[in-house]
Amino acid sequence: MVQVIKSIFYLGPLLFGFGFLAPLVSQVIQAVSWTPPFGLTPLMTGLIVGGGYGMIAQIRGRWI
Amino acid sequence: MSPTQDLSNLSDAELMRMEREVAARHLDKFPYFAVIWAFSNLAVWLALWPLVFMGILPLWLGFIIATANITLSYLPSHEAQHDIIAKPGAKLRWLNQLVGHTSTLPLVLPYQVAKITHMDHHKHANDPDLDPDYSTHADGPLQAVWKSLYNRQPRANGGFNAYGEVLQRKGRMDVILISVAYQLVHFGILFALAWSGYALEAALLWWLPRHIALTYIQYYLSWAPHNPELTKGRYRDTRSFRSILGNIGSLGMQYHIIHHLHPRIPLYRTPRAYWEMKPILEARGCDVHAL
Repeated sequence: MVQVIKSIFYLGPLLFGFGFLAPLVSQVIQAVSWTPPFGLTPLMTGLIVGGGYGMIAQIRGRWI
Repeated sequence: MSPTQDLSNLSDAELMRMEREVAARHLDKFPYFAVIWAFSNLAVWLALWPLVFMGILPLWLGFIIATANITLSYLPSHEAQHDIIAKPGAKLRWLNQLVGHTSTLPLVLPYQVAKITHMDHHKHANDPDLDPDYSTHADGPLQAVWKSLYNRQPRANGGFNAYGEVLQRKGRMDVILISVAYQLVHFGILFALAWSGYALEAALLWWLPRHIALTYIQYYLSWAPHNPELTKGRYRDTRSFRSILGNIGSLGMQYHIIHHLHPRIPLYRTPRAYWEMKPILEARGCDVHAL
């Protein structure tokens, strides 16, 4: 049971990056009326930044 | 008894008798304030959501109030954990349990987890292997803040992550599952809000205030009263201290030594009990020099 629970949370940082940070970054960009470079939309930028940070946290095992 | 009276010539038995007499004057007092605090604090935090969503309250103000709400959400539950509102079998036991279960909802801390780990903290305070809160130990205030943040990292072994180990050791898989359900619901709500266009509201009314609150709570409730120079033992594992934010700013923890000696004394009575008990504590060699 403990292993099942640990596996549920194993991908936590990655899921948090895409599930929460990505839309958060996107909505911050829209709130400050910033135009992302290279023709990226706010959501694409959010997915890259939030998802990327989540990926890094997933690999390192820590956010900070 | 004067607060400066010298009792060092008294025997252990005499000191214990006097200590119990003082404690008895403060036990079994109904903590009205903690009960009102529990429900009003939760109500204010819940009200922030519609107020901010409808544009009645600016988000920045909602963030400040939410941070205060979540920081204040732990202590009423703490009174319930020690059965201070009502003992098992008492007429108002339901109220004790209701306060315990509801007040820490914004912290995403199940009452059962808080109670089991907190009782272990009392039993094994400052024991590196058995105290569930030992991971908050740090050399100084800034290190304590860092340790609190570090313990919340995905693969850290301290903080709430250590609570899972404690529950596993005690064979409380049922409580672990409750904790998992809390986490899944918490993240489910955050993700749903974020993808519905309310990421900023979710971040500033719950996610960030919760992290600030956890840091503040762990600093004042765990690190400050159990700093690393203290060791194990009834009169050695905690102390009184002077906070630059005063007793209210330190969440009532300046007199934490009273709580560890007599956990069923309500929080609001600990200052009075402390001043009455201080000569006894000094005679016992407790660290009570800061106040």
